[in-house]
Amino acid sequence: MSYFDHCATTPIHPIVIDKMESTSKTHFGNPSSLHTSGRKAKSLIESSRRIIANALKASTNEIIFTGSGTEANNSVLWSLIHEENKHVITSSIEHPAILKVLDSIAPFGISYTKLPVNKFGEVNPKNLEESIEKDTGLISIMMVNNEVGTINPIKDLIEIAEEKNIPFHSDAVQALGKIPLSVKDIQADYLSFSGHKFYGPKGVGFLYKKNESKLNPLIIGGGQEGQFRAGTENISGIVGLAEAVRLAIENLDNRILHLEELESEFKAKLLSLSSNVIFNGHPEKHVPGVISASFLGKRSDILLVELDREKIEVSSGSACGSGSVKPSFVLEEMGLSKNQNTSTIRISFGRSNSLEDVNTLVKALVKFTNV
Amino acid sequence: MSDIVIVGMSGGVDSSVTAKILKDQGYNVECVFMKNWEGDDDNCNSEEDYKDALSVCNHLEIPLRSVNFSNEYWNKVFQYFIDEYKRGRTPNPDILCNREVKFKAFLNYAFDLGATKIATGHYAQINESENQFQLLKGLDKNKDQSYFLYLLGQNELSKSIFPIGNINKVKVRELAEESGLINYAKKDSTGVCFIGEQKFFKEFLKKYIPLEPGIIQTVDGKICGEHDGLMYYTMGQRKGLGIGGGHGFKEAPWFVADKDLNNNILIVAQGHDHPSLFHQELEADQLHWINEVPSSSLENISAKIRYRQDDQLCSITELSKNSCKVIFKDPQFAITPGQSIVFYDDDICMGGAIIDKRF
Repeated sequence: MSYFDHCATTPIHPIVIDKMESTSKTHFGNPSSLHTSGRKAKSLIESSRRIIANALKASTNEIIFTGSGTEANNSVLWSLIHEENKHVITSSIEHPAILKVLDSIAPFGISYTKLPVNKFGEVNPKNLEESIEKDTGLISIMMVNNEVGTINPIKDLIEIAEEKNIPFHSDAVQALGKIPLSVKDIQADYLSFSGHKFYGPKGVGFLYKKNESKLNPLIIGGGQEGQFRAGTENISGIVGLAEAVRLAIENLDNRILHLEELESEFKAKLLSLSSNVIFNGHPEKHVPGVISASFLGKRSDILLVELDREKIEVSSGSACGSGSVKPSFVLEEMGLSKNQNTSTIRISFGRSNSLEDVNTLVKALVKFTNV
Repeated sequence: MSDIVIVGMSGGVDSSVTAKILKDQGYNVECVFMKNWEGDDDNCNSEEDYKDALSVCNHLEIPLRSVNFSNEYWNKVFQYFIDEYKRGRTPNPDILCNREVKFKAFLNYAFDLGATKIATGHYAQINESENQFQLLKGLDKNKDQSYFLYLLGQNELSKSIFPIGNINKVKVRELAEESGLINYAKKDSTGVCFIGEQKFFKEFLKKYIPLEPGIIQTVDGKICGEHDGLMYYTMGQRKGLGIGGGHGFKEAPWFVADKDLNNNILIVAQGHDHPSLFHQELEADQLHWINEVPSSSLENISAKIRYRQDDQLCSITELSKNSCKVIFKDPQFAITPGQSIVFYDDDICMGGAIIDKRF
């Protein structure tokens, strides 16, 4: 099988699996318990927190474990219903874990403005500046888009937010492990992360919350995670998550080089063999290894099936395999024609892919798309 | 690689066994799950059905794909369904769904995916002779679904397989159980797929067609109650009339005998055998023939005017390109405009038409 869908999820790194396995075998205690088993479990949680904080140059009390990246996003957005300023500014190509949440908290007085994006999928900082209202209580703009890989000018955006004293959140689930990430450098108030996007386990993520930034908890109960997120901790998941973060940051340069190599090889080969391919997203400002490619004249739903039959796994931006292909809203917002939109697939390389895999993929794509 | 056959997989036992049989026969089988309805009225449990479909396909090691035909369904089937109800008629959306969605949108999609045939879990059979494809009743006469398929043509039949058409339903369930399919005991779907159980029918319809209350009269012109709108009633309907005992009438149940659309009056008759509930002749239009078009009237054929009805002897006395007049040997209970009359020559389904009037 050739797997090129690492933006959807990644296989768990073998070292992470080992850590999780040994943790599951030895540590069953409830971290809230006062006895030895509990204390051991608790210390594992805290050392995991330390690993992540160090990797991102954050303080330990700025890391809050959650059940997913989606949950981290939800925490930040729902928190706003308790605040005075209920207007949110976001972008039009956020993940549903932002856009759908904003719709569903509208009955609590939350209103929002969606900033447009340019043809590359970037938010223009000037648009942000102009959209700020008196009661804007949060700006939430993704760091890296999940369909095209474009990186937003996040520092410029944060600068504007800081000037106006408005908290800034970024959904960064597609960024970790693909671009350098230091909270000292970025200065966001909140960042959402998800373990399974960088070779960690599913069902666990974390929220970075700057010390002085406010958060009203979404999940209430036993007061875990410094009252910010109740629920008995997923010990082995958290240990695995921390290990995955550590590996991602430690090996970042190598991973980037590897992904860049795969990407440039892929693009060069494909361009030399295919006459009808167009690459979407920003030509430079994008994470390595994530490619949105349109094959004009070839429906993406059909192409996906043909590749699947050859055990080649990629994805399409358009929502789950619809026959009357539903165009991707992200590509729509970027101004792609409907035809191009519905002939677009996403290829996202990962650490286990080789140049040989790239060849297999190119060959198959040429076979199925040269009209 | 052998020919690809794509099965329309609903998550029910019939389509599951269909896939299983084809796989055993050595075909390169793939399944497609169709989602044809979206919205708040999602009583079709399509999420649950999808899970069943996925379990079955994983168990059989067959790839399952999904496709969304809710636009096609809405435009081509549901609009017609609502329009017919607004005219006080009782349409059969499943027949139209077969023509417009399963044997058009799905068939085209499957062929786009490289299929050489599609297959469905219908209880019907296809017989090919001299490049003519005949539609035959299913072997299980109790389950025969040819009634729902009479709008298919040569093109559709030539591209389709009905692998369980020559098997009894009991045997189908046995095969499912033997093969370890989790849905071997799953209840057959009943009623209109997007509404679900009959009891939700009125509530559902209310959302799309405004209430238009009027009076209920007996066939003799006596007022005996009120109705909520003629479209909520169908010919021969007994339940839900709100007239039972009392009203100074005897105890025998009441049935819908007719609808006076101009005056918005529902006309009822007492007792199942009341003559006003029976008619011996009808006119039907939107005529469709599966094989050659008969050149003149047809004597001594049979027909069904509703699903699962026993074959009724009849003759087609007048015939044009689009419409026909039918006379039955015996009077028929509750001939219903909007429903289909489907013609048979013994086990061969010849075609059918939509009932317009009865006499």
